[in-house]
Amino acid sequence: MESATVAVSHADHHHGPPEANQSSRIDRQTLGILLFIVSEVMLFGAFFASYFFLRVVVDPPSWPPHPYELPVAVAGMNTAILVSSSFTIHYALESIRRGNRNGLKLGLVATWLLGATFLFIQINEYVHLGFSARDLSFGSIFYSLTGLHGAHVFVGLMLLSFATIRAFRGHFGPEEKDHLGVEVPGIYWHFVDIMWLVVFVTVYVL
Amino acid sequence: MAAAIKNPGWWRGLFGAVAFGAFGFGLVIALRAISDLPLYQTEQTGYPHVIVPAITAPLGFLWGFGCFDYWLRWAAGLPTIPDDHSQHGAKSWKDYFKFNTDHKVIGVQYVVTTFIFFFLGGLMAMLIRAELAQPGTQIVEAATYNSLFSTHAVLMIFVFVIPVFAGLANYVLPLMIGAPDMAFPRLNALSFWMLPLAGILFIGSFLAPGGAFDAGWTGYAPLSTGAPLGQSFFNLGVQFAGASSIATALNFLVTIITMRAPGMTFWRMPLLVWANLSTSLLVVAATPFIAGVQFMVLFDRALHTNFFDFGAGGDVISYQHIFWFYSHPAVYIMMLPGFGIVSEVISTHARKPIFGYRLMALALIGIVVLSYSVWAHHMFVAGMFSWLRVPMMITTLLIAVPTGIKIFSWLGTLYFGKIHTYSTAMLFALAFIVTFTIGGISGVMLGMVPIDIHVSDTYFIVAHIHFVLFGGSVFTIFAGVYHWFPKMTGRMYDEKLGRVHFWGTLVGTWGTFIPMHWVGMDGMPRRVADYAEQFGNWNLMISAFAFLLGAVQLVFVYNMVVSWRFGPKAGANPWRANSIEWQVSSPPPIFNSTEIPRVVGGPYEFGIPGAKHAIMAGEGTEGAEVPAGEKSVVGTSP
Ligand code: HEM
Ligand SMILES: [Cu+2]
Repeated sequence: MESATVAVSHADHHHGPPEANQSSRIDRQTLGILLFIVSEVMLFGAFFASYFFLRVVVDPPSWPPHPYELPVAVAGMNTAILVSSSFTIHYALESIRRGNRNGLKLGLVATWLLGATFLFIQINEYVHLGFSARDLSFGSIFYSLTGLHGAHVFVGLMLLSFATIRAFRGHFGPEEKDHLGVEVPGIYWHFVDIMWLVVFVTVYVL
Repeated sequence: MAAAIKNPGWWRGLFGAVAFGAFGFGLVIALRAISDLPLYQTEQTGYPHVIVPAITAPLGFLWGFGCFDYWLRWAAGLPTIPDDHSQHGAKSWKDYFKFNTDHKVIGVQYVVTTFIFFFLGGLMAMLIRAELAQPGTQIVEAATYNSLFSTHAVLMIFVFVIPVFAGLANYVLPLMIGAPDMAFPRLNALSFWMLPLAGILFIGSFLAPGGAFDAGWTGYAPLSTGAPLGQSFFNLGVQFAGASSIATALNFLVTIITMRAPGMTFWRMPLLVWANLSTSLLVVAATPFIAGVQFMVLFDRALHTNFFDFGAGGDVISYQHIFWFYSHPAVYIMMLPGFGIVSEVISTHARKPIFGYRLMALALIGIVVLSYSVWAHHMFVAGMFSWLRVPMMITTLLIAVPTGIKIFSWLGTLYFGKIHTYSTAMLFALAFIVTFTIGGISGVMLGMVPIDIHVSDTYFIVAHIHFVLFGGSVFTIFAGVYHWFPKMTGRMYDEKLGRVHFWGTLVGTWGTFIPMHWVGMDGMPRRVADYAEQFGNWNLMISAFAFLLGAVQLVFVYNMVVSWRFGPKAGANPWRANSIEWQVSSPPPIFNSTEIPRVVGGPYEFGIPGAKHAIMAGEGTEGAEVPAGEKSVVGTSP
């Protein structure tokens, strides 16, 4: 094993691993988060499949079942809040690309606040709905789908907190490799937004 | 002691497990106290004060063990500790018990751990066969029997076959594509350490009141939603095993796509790499389905939701649809990596290029795509939509086409090859082709609705799954372990003992599982502790062969342990193979090579004069001393 550290064709005494060859245009972190999103989409897929069975296959006489109602207007407003946060995170990323550190901080903080507001409104909605996850399969799948999404908003907020803390500590720069720590959580945040649109349309609108 | 708690390792891991576990327990009790509920809920399936700690304690262990240390510093924006490579390589056996980010160490950790679960699962199989040797009750009650076959299958599937392939590939795949490590080494280590936790949850369920989970590895609702506490351990263990498997698959995909050596185009990748690429595609996209459905069962059990409660608008069959949407792809997750191993072994030992290399790779992709379209062939008698039967029958029969392509390609590779059978790996690979083909044919039979209706839930199914899983997956695992043993340990195993193991395993497998086809067709049901008198003789014979199969595995253990310690030194390339992992020393140098190799041709150009696969950096190759600064050309051997 020791022989390995004896570099034959190199004069320098570098003891770490050799630099891996980059065999694709996409970098590791971005590809990693994209694949992670694929598997997240499938996790939602499992719950959407369940939703399909409970609503379409079981086919109860009314949906939502009789006394229950969903506050579509509040959720619609909440949707607008979450969607606007996609623009603020985009602004943050564009800012750091141009070297505008204040824009980066502003964008990140705004995104974080919008996300937190969304989560707050959703929890408030839960409190006032008047039915629980134990009330019929409707209650179970409603809380599972929106709760699963809420958990993703929470994870997204954590990732954004990391990026925000680091931004305020002076990390990140205009070079592509220097702001992956903003770009990667940003991709995840866009996914959380788009997923919400799908959940909103399926659960509240259709 | 204080230092032991401060530094990552077993002590802090233990501390984390206890602390996080206590926190989870306290949280449940506190919340219940606030809500004016009785503090403990032990009547039904609930047990929140056990379930929550069963989630937090493993996480606490992972934290304490150091799996998250780097990330937590990074997330807080603190200066991360520069990698001093102390987490690379293993200088003594103790290093295998640490949080290590070296893919070669992790590979060995995986293989050894999963084999421990293999033997535990095997022990359960022995108990099952002892019980079934005669009609009536022998050694275990019916309830215990149900727990035994359930845990047997779960250990074998979730913590042996699926992860052992990840382990073998962890070791050889980065070497094969000329990468210094996996793309995300810390994630890789985390994936490994989640695995023993899953295994402990599965086995720990024996301690639960009401016994271990007993609803089979399929855990169908509503049997599982009303089962005692042990079932929740299954639901949770699957989450850990599943997360581990998804993280590894993601890691493989990123590694294969972004870290190939210069010149290693997709069409120059060894088939093992192709096989893991396809498997990982299946894992990333299918495994979340089992995670989702086990969450639903857990919610139904612990939170009293109504996913599968018909009286409250739930749908029972939806469990099976979602479960099989993962679990049919899962059977290919358990087979495709084995296909890759067999391709490597057969080409090397037949000294011939793979017949139809591109078609082999495309067949893998074909299987990946098709396996998402066949799930309901497990549900022909479940009372699902009857219109779905024929489409599922057709897709099931279609999937036999790419599978058949692979079998004919191996035969084409062997045809007129210089077949060397001095390696046990090759014996297992050849036996695999025959045994797997039989299992594939019984699979095609089962794909046909009328036959399936006749033999569903009989021993015919047990025969099919063991021909494809034992004769298929496990044979390829043995082939892989024997093939890369010299590379991993730097020593040769004992070929004579290898042969004893091989023939014992082959005879044991066939003797055990062939008669199961007959008793199955005559109507002996699976998953029942007792059976009609008329099957007595066959079952006695099956049990006898099963004990032979079990006993001969001890030869394997002895061979591996003793050869690892005392075996004769193996050269860099004992099988005269072409792929890159054989062009470095055995075991490979700590960072695989000092320079990334350059790939100039396909991996299987055996017998082609002047052909070469890769140009390596000057050192680490076998044979002549290479003067400093020069490169040697390797990878040609007739
Ligand atoms: C040509 C390939 C194959 C075909 C057409 C096929 C077909 C089938 C069918 C139709 C069933 C359902 C039987 C029933 O429950 O009534 C089945 C069961 C099963 N197959 Fe296969 N199969 C194939 C290959 C494999 C492979 C490669 C594996 C694993 C390595 C596998 C593992 C299983 C398992 C574990 C079950 C039983 C599941 C249970 O517990 O109910 N099969 N197969
Ligand atoms: Cu299947």
